[in-house]
Parts: sequence; C-alpha cells; structure tokens
Amino acid sequence: MSRFFRGGDDSSSESSSDEEELYSTSEEEEEEDQEEQESSEEEGEEESSDEEEGPKKTGLSRFLVDQAESESEQSEDEGATKVKSAKDKRFDELEATITTIQNRQKIDDWGSIANEFDKLNRQVVKLQDSGKAPKPYIKCIAELEDFLNETLAKQKVTPKNKKLNATNARGLNAVKQRIKKNNKDYQSQIDAFRKDSDAFMESDEEEAPRPTPAKVRFQEALAPEEAAEDEDRGFARVDKRGKAIPFSPESIQKHLRAIVESRGRKNTDRGEQIKIMEELNKVAETPYLKIRVLQTLVSARFDLGSGTTTSMPLEHWKAAERELAALLTLLETHKDHVVIEGAEEWEDDDKTPILGPDDKYIKVPGSVVSYIERLDDELTRSLQSIDPHTSEYIDRLTDEASLYNIILQGLLYYETIRKDAALEIPQESLNRIIQRRLDHVYFKPAQVVKILEENAWKQASSGVDSAITPRNLSGDAGQLMHTLCNYLFDNSEGIIRARAMLCRIYFLALHDEYYKARDMMLTSHLQESIANFDVATQILYNRTLVQVGLCAFRRGLVYDAQNTLQDICGSGRQKELLAQGVMMQRYSQVTPEQERLEKQRQLPFHMHINLELLECVYLTCSMLLEIPLLAQIGSSPDIKKRVISKTYRRMLEYHERQIFTGPPENTRDHVMQASKALAAGEWKKATHFIHSIKIWDLMPSAEEIKAMLAKQIQEEGLRTYLFTYAPFYDTLAIDTLSTMFELDSTKVAAVVSKMISHEELAAALDQVTKTVIFRKGVELSRLQSLALALSDKASALIETNERTLEVRTQGSANAFSRKDGRQGGQRGGGQRGGRGGARTGGNAQRQAGGTQFTGGALGAAVRG
Amino acid sequence: MAAAPSANGGIAVSEYDLMLKLAQHLDRHMIFPLLEFSAGQVVDEESGDIKDETKAREITQAKYGLLKKTNMTDYVANLYCELEGLEEPPAEFADKKQKVFGQLQKYEQETSKIIELLERDDVVNNLRSDKVANLEFLKREHEVTMEMVNALFDLGNLQYSCGNYADASEMLYRFRVLSTDNDKVAYATWGRLACEILTMNWESAMEELQKVRETIDSKLSQNPLAQLQHRTALTHWALFPLFNFDKAREPILELFFNAGYINTIQANCAWILRYLAVAVITNRGRAKNPGIHQKQMKDIVRIVKQEAYEYQDPVTRFVHALCIDFDFEEAQRQLVLAEEVLRGDFFLLAHADDFVDSARHLIFESYCKIHARISLQDLSARLGLNADAAEKWIVNLIRDTRLDAKIDYKEGTVVMNHPPSSVYQQVIEKTKGGFFRTQVLTAAIAK
Repeated sequence: MSRFFRGGDDSSSESSSDEEELYSTSEEEEEEDQEEQESSEEEGEEESSDEEEGPKKTGLSRFLVDQAESESEQSEDEGATKVKSAKDKRFDELEATITTIQNRQKIDDWGSIANEFDKLNRQVVKLQDSGKAPKPYIKCIAELEDFLNETLAKQKVTPKNKKLNATNARGLNAVKQRIKKNNKDYQSQIDAFRKDSDAFMESDEEEAPRPTPAKVRFQEALAPEEAAEDEDRGFARVDKRGKAIPFSPESIQKHLRAIVESRGRKNTDRGEQIKIMEELNKVAETPYLKIRVLQTLVSARFDLGSGTTTSMPLEHWKAAERELAALLTLLETHKDHVVIEGAEEWEDDDKTPILGPDDKYIKVPGSVVSYIERLDDELTRSLQSIDPHTSEYIDRLTDEASLYNIILQGLLYYETIRKDAALEIPQESLNRIIQRRLDHVYFKPAQVVKILEENAWKQASSGVDSAITPRNLSGDAGQLMHTLCNYLFDNSEGIIRARAMLCRIYFLALHDEYYKARDMMLTSHLQESIANFDVATQILYNRTLVQVGLCAFRRGLVYDAQNTLQDICGSGRQKELLAQGVMMQRYSQVTPEQERLEKQRQLPFHMHINLELLECVYLTCSMLLEIPLLAQIGSSPDIKKRVISKTYRRMLEYHERQIFTGPPENTRDHVMQASKALAAGEWKKATHFIHSIKIWDLMPSAEEIKAMLAKQIQEEGLRTYLFTYAPFYDTLAIDTLSTMFELDSTKVAAVVSKMISHEELAAALDQVTKTVIFRKGVELSRLQSLALALSDKASALIETNERTLEVRTQGSANAFSRKDGRQGGQRGGGQRGGRGGARTGGNAQRQAGGTQFTGGALGAAVRG
Repeated sequence: MAAAPSANGGIAVSEYDLMLKLAQHLDRHMIFPLLEFSAGQVVDEESGDIKDETKAREITQAKYGLLKKTNMTDYVANLYCELEGLEEPPAEFADKKQKVFGQLQKYEQETSKIIELLERDDVVNNLRSDKVANLEFLKREHEVTMEMVNALFDLGNLQYSCGNYADASEMLYRFRVLSTDNDKVAYATWGRLACEILTMNWESAMEELQKVRETIDSKLSQNPLAQLQHRTALTHWALFPLFNFDKAREPILELFFNAGYINTIQANCAWILRYLAVAVITNRGRAKNPGIHQKQMKDIVRIVKQEAYEYQDPVTRFVHALCIDFDFEEAQRQLVLAEEVLRGDFFLLAHADDFVDSARHLIFESYCKIHARISLQDLSARLGLNADAAEKWIVNLIRDTRLDAKIDYKEGTVVMNHPPSSVYQQVIEKTKGGFFRTQVLTAAIAK
C-alpha cells in the first residue's frame, strides 16, 4: 500500500518504514499533539503489521476487512486525492523520523537512534529555510541531548556487567560525538526551547532569532566536555601559528581531558598531543598531576602502535619505558597515591584532589599491570618484525633488561598495595605480572637469569624487598622459578596456572632435570586438557614437550626422547606447532586474517628452539630405534609391520631410491647415510657419520653426547647384526662379537641374553664354550608364516569385536575382563601412561593445528 | 648365612633402613613396634648385653618422644626414668595419669547407657541396616542423643591413646554402627584398622582394610591430593598384615598392583617397592594362579625399572640386574646384600630365608631360559652355594619344576633342552579361545 510513497527511502529499518508508511497515509493526525501521535502511532504499528499480512493470507480474510483497516484505507484514499507540496512531504518524513527516535529512546536502542539521527540530519538540510531549522527538529535534538547525558551518567554508575551491548554502545558513542557538533549550530534555538518549551513550539518561525553558531553559551550540563572541545580547537589554532601557549599546572587537567576525549578519533595528531604532554609533564608539580600526565602520556604512546601490523616506533617505546619507570618510582616515593583499577574519575578540572582526613590514599584510576603488559607486547612485536640476524635485533634485545626491571618494579608495587586489604587489589593483577616475569625467565639458562635478576635488583631501590621472591633469591634461578611457579599454582587457576606449570617444566627440562620434568608433565594432566586452551598456551605446551624430549636425549634415553618428540616432529609441521615460522601450505586457502594472526603468534627469534638440532635429534633417535626393528622385520617379512616413525621411514625410502649418493651435505644426509651403514653392520662408519654432524656443537657438553651416541650405535649395531645375520650362522662366539663391536664380552652376553629373553632371537647361550647357538628350524615356510599371520588376524578381529561391543555397552559386559588383564600384562616397560598420554595430547594438538594453525606464505622470514 | 651381620654389612643395612620414611606414614602406636625391633637389634642375642650404648639410648629417647603425646602414662614415666636415671617418676606424670583416668571415667559414664542398650537383645534385634532409622528408633525409644554416640567415638579415641586397643576397637565398632557422620565414620574405620593391626587380629584387620579402601575410592574421588595421602598411609599400614598373615598376601598384593595404588607408590613412596618386590618374589610357589604371579613379576620389573632413578636398594637392584640387565654376577652380589637388608628390616626379617630361596629359583629360571649349557661350577657360584649343594639343589629343582635339563657329570655341566615351539602349536594357541569368545560375544549381542 504505502510502499508506493516511500519506495525511495532506504536507510531506515523495517519497523521504522512501517511507521513512516502509516504517517504518510494519515497525515491529518500529524498536526496533533506529539504524545497523541505516539500512542496512535503505536496502535498504527500493530495495525500496519496486520494489514501487511492480513490481506495476503487467504482469500476469505481479504474481504473480511476490519474496522481499523477500512478507516485507514479511507484515509489513504483521501491522502491520495490530496495534493501535497514537496515541502510538506519532507516535513512528514521528518516527523516520522522524530517519532521513531523518541520511541527508540524509550527502549534504549542506541543502535537505531544513531541511524535515525543521521537520517534526521539529512532530512533537515532539505527543510531548512534560510538556515532556520524546523521546530520539531529542534525539540527532538534537544531532548535527545538531554537523554544522552542522562544515559551517560547512568553508565558511569552502573556496574560493568550491566553495560550496553556492543551495537548499542557503538550507537551511543556515535550519537554522542555527532550531537555535540550538530547542536552547536542550533544552539540558540535549543536554548530558546529549553527556556520555555511550550512557548517555543507555539512561537512563530519569524520570532526566533537567527542561529549564531560561533558564539554561544554552553549549557550547564555539557560544560566540561564542551570546554574541552573548545580547548582542543584552541590548541590547533595556536599551533598553526607556531606559538606555543604557556602551560600552567592549573590547566593540566583540562589539557589532559581534552586529549583523552580526542583519543581514538580520526584526524587527531597523536604526535602533537604527545609533545603537549611532554611539556605538561615538565610543569606538573604535584604527584597527582604527574601521575595523571604520565598515565595519559604512556597510553598515548601506545596508541601510536595500535595498528595490527606495525609496531610502536623505537624512540616512543623507550620513552614509554622511561615514563613507566618514572611512574612506578613516583608511586613508590609517594605512598599516599595509588593507581588502581576501578577508582572514581576526578571530575573537577579546576582543582586537584587533596587527601581528605578520612582517606588514606588518593586513588587514580588506571592499571599498571596493563601498561606493563602492553609494553611487553610491544617489545615482542617489534622483535618479531626485526630481522634476527642484524645487530639491530641484538640492540633491541637489550631493552628486555629494562623491561624486566619494570616488571620487577611493578611486581613490587603491587605487593605493596596489596598489603592494604582496603584497596581490594584483585589477585589477578599480581598473577598477571608474575606470569609476565615468568615469561621472561623460563626459557633462559640459569646464568643468564642470574645476571638479569641481579641487574634488576640493582635498579630497584635498596630498601624494598619482595615478599614473594626475596632479593637474596635472585642468585639461584632454579629456586626463583620454583617460587614464582608455586605462587601461581597456589593463587591462580586456568590458563595462568597451566602456563606456570609449563614454564616450570620447560625450565627443568632445559636444565637437564629430566625425571622431574617428565613427572611434572605427567602429573599435570595437561595433555588431556591442552586442546581447550588458547593457541599461545598450546604453543607453549609444544615447546615444553620438545624441550623435555631434548632433555631425554641428552640423558641418553633414546626411547623416551623419540616418543616425546614424535608428536611434534613426526607431524612435519614443527614450524607451525612451535610458532617459529609459517609454513607454506599448498592446498589450503588462507585468508589474510588467518595469516595475520599466525604472524602475530610467532615467537621472537631469541626464544626459538633450534629446529635443525631438533630434527637431528629426532632423526638420530628414530634411526637407533628403527634400524634394528627393520632388521628384525626384514628376516621375517610377515611379522606385523610396526612403524615407529613414519617421517623417518619416508626419508629412508627416498634416500634408498636415489641412484647416486654423494657425500652427505646436510644433517638429514648424515643421518641417512649413518642409517645405511648401521643397517649393514658398519657401526664405525655410522658413528663417524653421526659425529660429523656439526650441529651437535650447539648442545652443551657435546663430547659427552657424542660418546653416548657412539655407545648406543655400538649396541644397536650389534642387535642389527644379530638380526640380520642370524639365519646364516649356527653358532657365533661371543668373543668374536665383542671384538667386532668393541664391546665388553659381558656386555655382549647381556645384550644377547636380553634378546633371547624377549624372544627376539631364537638362540641360546652356551656358557662353556662362550658361544651363541642359533636354533634351527625356526625359519618358517611360507605356508606356516601365512598361517600364523592368519591366526593373528583372527584374534585381532575378535578383540576388535569385543572392544566395539564394550564401547556400546559402556563396559558393562563383564565377560571381557579377562582380556583387559592380559593386555595390561603385555604392555611393555617404560610407558607408564606417559606415552599414551602424550600421544593423545599430541593428537588433540594436531587437530587444533588443523583448524587454527593455517600457514601463510611468509614463513621464510623467520627461518632459523 | 644366618650369622650376625658383619661390620660392613651393618653400615650397608643402616644405609637402607627405611624406618624414617616409613614412620612418616604410620601411626605413633604402630611405630612403636618398629622401635622395639630396632632396640632388639642393638641387644646382643645371646648375652643380652647392649652392644651400642649410645644407640640404645637414642632409641629410648625416640620411644619417649614418640609416646609422650599418648596417654600411656605409666610406660612413658618409666621411659623418662630410664632416660634421666631417676628412681621415681616426677609428679607431672602422676597428674597426667589422674587426668586421663578422670577423662576415661567421664566418657565411660556418658557412654554407659548406650553400651548397655547395645548389649540388650531386644534393642539390637530392632536395629536395621538403615542408620538414620536406627538413630531415630533409639532416640524415640531410649532417649539416645547424638552426643552419646559421639562420646563413643571419643572414648574409643582415648582408649586407643592409652594403648587399650581391644576396647578401643570395640567402641569404634559400636560408634560406626550408629553414627551417620560420614567423616567420623571414616576416622573410626581407620582407628579400628589400627586397633586390629596392633592387636594382631589379622582377619578383621583385612576387613577394615577393605572398608578403608572403599572409602578412599568413593569419598575422596574429588580430591586427588587427599586420595594420594590416604592411599599412601593405607599402603604403609597394609605392610603389617602383608608380612604377618599369609592369607592377606594375595588380596594385599592385588591391592598394591591396583592402578591407583601402584601410582601412589610410584609417586609418593617408592621405598614400598622393596616390600612389594620381596612379597612378589617370595610369593612364587604359593600363588594359586601362576599366571597372576607372572604378571605381577612383570609389573614389578617394569616399575623397578621406571623408578630406578628415584629409589634403589639391594632388593630392587637385584631385580634390575636379573630381569633387566641380565647381569647374573651383579644379581648375585645384590642378593647377598639384600639378604642382610632383609634381616635388618622389621617386616621382612621372617622372610629373609624364603626370599633368598625364591631369588635363587628366579636366577636359575632365567639362566636356564637363556643358556643351552651351563657349567656346574659357575652356576654354584651364581647361586652362592658350594658345588655339591648346588648339584643337589639343581637336581631337586629339575625334579620339582620338571625342567627339561640334564646334568652331565663328566663335563660338569647342566645341559638345557629348549624345544622350539612348533608353528602348529603356536597357531593352535592363538586360535584357542576364538570359538568361546565368539560365543560369548554372540550371547552378549543377543541380550
């Protein structure tokens, strides 16, 4: 129906267009009082919705038109016959928009208000005759402004959880900004309206004075904000003329407010503001003012780097760091000033708060921990973007020490203010800051931590000491880690707690405390829940896992090392999983958004775990486990094919396919050629290949590791030899073996005994002649081995069936308890849930990786 | 072999003395027998002279410190006199005694009514299994109050503290029947377990043990730390019946190998491994089901291997050398040491010979498994026997276990015959249970 009239108007929402439609049809009502309009309009709304559906529903209801509808149809007819001027039409539109705004005000729907307000302003331009706005418009904006102030006031009082939702909040801000600008133009009219609303509405257009936007008296309620705005503009003017206006301590607060107001807006010159604040900082006299200025200044500096990709400029970071240090020192010297979250904002710009007789503190709103976190993040970000192989990176890295000082100072500050229970400092702040400290310590060797700590304490004033980490603890990094982590275990939960645990494990593993680290890793049960944590924590988990694996390797525990590293290294996506570079992914679509996130996650170079070393360790371990296994399988091809490391197998196959093999060039070649030599029983050659890998030198005590590897290669070589050549011998003298592999004859006997006992070798020892006697008739014919394989498969089938049923029946079928018992018995040594656990963790990890760790094309930037 | 430990051995033994570690998890009253035992070791068996004055004094001091907090005033007074060399105990002990008596009387008065009630048949017959209903009934008919029930608990506690274990056990039993307070019932169960252990009433101790175990498994499942601590304590307490009561052996071994407890042992008290290893090894001939024994043996080997970094003593080292490294010489050396350790251990003293014997069996078994021909001489050295005794021992062994082995006397060797397991046999073994299992499966699906 009325769609014919309003088809062109697109900006309004569905409901408002309904209302408009109605109004355009029943225009005589518009002349009536506003209140009446509203109520009738509400009815009309219902009506119109009825109308919309009603006639279309069924053929019957089409003719059963009710009273209201017929009336409106009548009026529509009238409207159609009446000839309206264009101006009238516009006026109607305006009225409709106004009512919508009023309605929206009632339900606090700021999102729609913002839209409608825009529309209103567009409409009113057309209606302005000789710069004079229509009266309903003036009324509307005046009311809207009052309502806005009211809402803002309410916002301050209401607790945080009752805040508006995002759309509304955005709408509210939009309206707030626009209405101020807008209302200035109509200030005189608004004033007139406020003085006597009825009279204003009655009065004739001509009586109202012309609007004089330039010189206006601001109304009371808006005074501070408007003043600030004014001040702001004032600065701009003055600066353009190149003359700085003198800053006085009295005006500081006003300046600050102006700057805070303009924060986040477009076209604000942040650099200019920072300069102003630097000036202000010089003139600030009282601690209160200094604190305020420093706070604002630091935030403003952070704003400079607020883009998602760019980091903060270096000089600003340094300045921010200095200022933050100054702030903390200030707070330390003036104990009656505290910066806490959730403090009341000081509204009066002309005075500074004075310590009242009842108050113990002057509270300044702000969050020191957030500043520190931000500073830390900015450093990380800048490190991410610098090429790690330049001296610039190293220069930048020295800033970490000063950052650490700040963290320590911040920690001390929080400890002091937490002593006073009246301030109600949340535990969380302290946890956060301790976590940051931990983040800077956990991956460093003890000596480095010691130096870092000592320097940090030198900076801190001598009288202070920390209750959590006393000064004398700084000499002992292990103890420091222990204390910090324990504090977090006791006082935090969720992610921070998990991170603390992982940091501790990482540190332990780094310092060769394998069993402690492993036991903590197992008892933490993190592998079960890690998939629920955020990506950063998952990365930390992966790093820790790798570190534990490397630690196991250094201890000579090849089996454990391989097992632990399997999940990360076996996946072939080490880079992603450790956040040390983005991988090219050929077949996946990566949105720029994902790529950006991925890049943000990258660790700065100095935290990296050397990937080449990692690969080398993993491959060496795999070799030591796989080559004897291959030899064992090789002699009887029908044994169930067990694969320890798919990655390794693949590489080996690839290597074997090559026709010409040159001398080894990289780590992988070395390991592969060593594997070949080992498989052929040439353990000396294998040892030589492994030893000539250069990267071992990166490990602490490389010589010991080489010796350990040589020993392992000897033993595994012996095993491989026995597996490979057993079919061709009747007896073998132990002494011969012992000279061949340069091992003690008791050692050889022990190895052989072990193999016999585990039924890997069909043989027996003859103690008198000191020989190994291989049993004959062990080699099976093809039919026999196939029969064995068949029986194996049959029993596997039964077991699978039973398990399936068990899952279905929720394990209530007791008939299968027998099977469980036997399985438990068969489980080999050295597993203890660690293996299974870690693997499930790893799987979850990989899944998480599948969804989140999508690589980008820029991975080469951080390649180690 | 049974000779008094040499000076060297003495040092070794004291190095492996677990007294301090065990004491952390035992009750005061249970530590006492351990101390008595140490005191007994210091005293020379034949002459009754005290060999080491300072050590004896230390032990007396320890006893005094131990019992000072209990209410066994007379004995404590005596100890004090002994320590200080006094004839008459000071008056404070008499005071305390008086106080204890006073308390005892007070509680007895408070509980006399309820005890009397519980002895009357007409009352007892009216009790049902529902505790709440019982309490209601007693309240209604006989004016029993909650305080009276709790007084039972306090009286039991006091009597235990006085060393009157049998009565304490009785009181706690009655309390448990009536009380609805779950926490206190759990305490009472622990108390009763202690009483039964101390009165060496093993049958009922086992019952209580089972109850405590159930409580731990069910009530504490939400609190892993408390569960760990309780399990640790239970593991230690269970050592008493384990080595003193033959019938307790299988259930307690079963308990120890339960996942929860084996984890507890690994995490919190690895020294229990010594007892566990001894128990498993000596259980060799006794176990009804050799399959279970083999499984336990495998488990213990695995755990000893895993925990080698945390805990080692001659017993575990013996297991390690024999079953993991196959180093028979080292195993033999450790066996000698282990025997001495066993003789110095309160729990294991009675099992030392048994252990040595079983250990030899074990050595021989794995020896035979690996070797085709062994020189007799060498073997006798391994077993720690002279040639003739070894020969006899081996003959006995071959006869008992029906090993497929022969002694070649001329060569001085034992020849083992390892029949290779036939492929057909293997196939039969593997497919043996298939039919039955499939039937079970079908039945289960049909249900």
